[in-house]
Amino acid sequence: MTTRARPRRGDLALGSIAVLALGLYALFIVVPVIMSAWKSLTDENPLNPQTHFVGLDNYAEMMHDSALSDSLTFTLLLTAAVTIVANTAGIGFAMLLNKTSLSYRVMRTVAFLPQVLSGVIVAFLWRYILAQDGLLNDVLTSTGITDGPITWLGTPHLAMFSVGLVATWVLTGFTTVVHLAALQSIPVELYQAARVDGAGRRQQFRHITFPMVAPGTTISVTISMITMLKLYDIIAVLTSGGPSDSTQSTALYIIKCAFTDNRFGYASTVAMLFLALSAIIALSVTGLLRRREENL
Amino acid sequence: MRPTHLIAACVAAGLTLLTGCSAASNDGGKGGSDLTHLTYLTFETPNLNARFWNTSITEAEKQVPGVSVKKIVAAGTDRDAYAKQLLASGQFPDLLQSITPSTFAQNGLLKPYDKNWVNANFLMPMGNAYKGEVYVPPTNSQIIPEVFYNKKLFAQAGITAPPKTWSEFMAVCAKLKAAGITPIELGGGDPFSASMPLVGILSADVLGKNPNWLQDRYAGKAKFTDANVEAAVAKYRTMVKEGYFQNGALGVKYADSITNFTSGKAAMYMMGSWFLGSVPKDHTDDFGAFLTPTDDGSLVVPFSVGGSMAISAKTADPAKATAFAQAWSTNPANLKALIEGDGALPMLKNKTLADYKVNVSQVYKDSYTYVTDQNTKVPAFGWVTNDDAMPSGLNDAFYSASQALFTSDDIHGQLAKLDAAWDKAAK
Repeated sequence: MTTRARPRRGDLALGSIAVLALGLYALFIVVPVIMSAWKSLTDENPLNPQTHFVGLDNYAEMMHDSALSDSLTFTLLLTAAVTIVANTAGIGFAMLLNKTSLSYRVMRTVAFLPQVLSGVIVAFLWRYILAQDGLLNDVLTSTGITDGPITWLGTPHLAMFSVGLVATWVLTGFTTVVHLAALQSIPVELYQAARVDGAGRRQQFRHITFPMVAPGTTISVTISMITMLKLYDIIAVLTSGGPSDSTQSTALYIIKCAFTDNRFGYASTVAMLFLALSAIIALSVTGLLRRREENL
Repeated sequence: MRPTHLIAACVAAGLTLLTGCSAASNDGGKGGSDLTHLTYLTFETPNLNARFWNTSITEAEKQVPGVSVKKIVAAGTDRDAYAKQLLASGQFPDLLQSITPSTFAQNGLLKPYDKNWVNANFLMPMGNAYKGEVYVPPTNSQIIPEVFYNKKLFAQAGITAPPKTWSEFMAVCAKLKAAGITPIELGGGDPFSASMPLVGILSADVLGKNPNWLQDRYAGKAKFTDANVEAAVAKYRTMVKEGYFQNGALGVKYADSITNFTSGKAAMYMMGSWFLGSVPKDHTDDFGAFLTPTDDGSLVVPFSVGGSMAISAKTADPAKATAFAQAWSTNPANLKALIEGDGALPMLKNKTLADYKVNVSQVYKDSYTYVTDQNTKVPAFGWVTNDDAMPSGLNDAFYSASQALFTSDDIHGQLAKLDAAWDKAAK
């Protein structure tokens, strides 16, 4: 006859914490998603207590919603552009700042600073820089680079670029820190051995640095993408989605559907689509990067 | 503690917090007092700042014994959206300042005022009535927009009098531009501000000829794509193409547009009469105002009546909420602040400007005569909150079209979009 081992006090505590964590996750993530999925099948209006089940009507409407497809296109383009630029810049800055002296430690803190500031503050700051009579136009005109001020926030294409610029500025701090941490985990001996074998800087980067920071890149790219897909605060303050909806992200569009157009049901439908799309993108890209890590 | 107990504790704490968020409450029986607590949604601007609201609330509280009012400040300029967010989270305020009553009243969320009280106190008792009921006391009015102008810059360009007809207006713009002066300032970076010229033109040309156009649009008898509306919008497009707005106008925020105009960077500024509160006190005589000109020079006043607070139909103490709202709405001291700071045009019965003991500019007095004179008043397009209010959510589409027409020649396409948005919103 076998006897079951008595659970230790530490295991019980860990188990309690795990149950609590799962409970909170279910309460604040799973339940709202299920509620949203249900609402997406209704015509819920925040002002009207009468809610009706409408089946897949909202999903059918979504297929022909040009404002939604415009916002999705903008969001996906912005996500791709900012993720690529911010991560490339992050690797570059990380290599530049991968030193131990005090001045480099200070520079690292400065590089990380945008990530610490709230999106609203960042957007206010950049609004002053990019305004018609803002700092950037002052510099450009006073140095004779341009004849007059450039409408950074008032022309559709330039406004898109401006939003991308600000988002990249914020994210680069994060990608720099992640890649810096990855760089610092590489044993110095590897570089010493490579130098003995006659490898130059470029070969060292290709065969040691790049493969060794790959796990950091996977994390950094995934989090950058998720951050960009749900971008709301910076755009809301910087351009309010304008001019003429050119910078309306999908997150902004969902809020507009819910609180301007009074359509909670339809907003939930768009949110469900966006959730599915974000999950597919995040899982696909993470899978690709993981496979790349294994092949390196 | 067992995990189940922990979760139960968390849920209980959450529910306690939620119940603590409900609106009106009465202390009676708990703390031994009969104090009714009400929540009041307000907003803050540089002119109507926290001090103004705090003082006005304290004064009204004094007139309603047993009431304590907690101020909630709207997070942005869209007070309707914020009220909806509060409603969705179970925190709909007992009192709501300057919201669009039709949006909420049609779903039974607001309590109407007693008509006898409204009739006894206001010049235009039904000025902002919705389906025969008054949900916001008509304490003051606005003209949206007026065309404010800088007299010195007009003189500099050799312009001796403000234009009366549309062709004169275009000639004035051309003359200013030829003199190297920016004809019109536009804060196009803020969507509502970008729409002001279009609000003026549509009010003058479309509503001036058919004041019932908005009702006709609801009935499907009129469309944005009708020839007369397209012709009016084409005027706005011409102004853009002729370069009568400053370079990069869509990149200029509303607040900056005020500073630009008052500091002499442009000769004219199309804005609601609330701009009167921003006319620089040290050189008020430099500024004048006229209405958006019509083709034949007839005067059309784009008018909106509103001003005070709506009462939630869900408030736990309707009597006290109403008493507070009435006390606040008829306090001349509040009107004084609104007149001087926000350019409000008062609508209290049996009172002249002198009764408010205000110090206002000549341009304010001139604007106020548009309110007191007999003339053609039409609902300010997209701004009124009565039966002529656009369907909830359409303002955003209208603002977006105003910005799009800055860069697009497709007037018909933009107006067709507005028709589609209207039909969807009015369903």
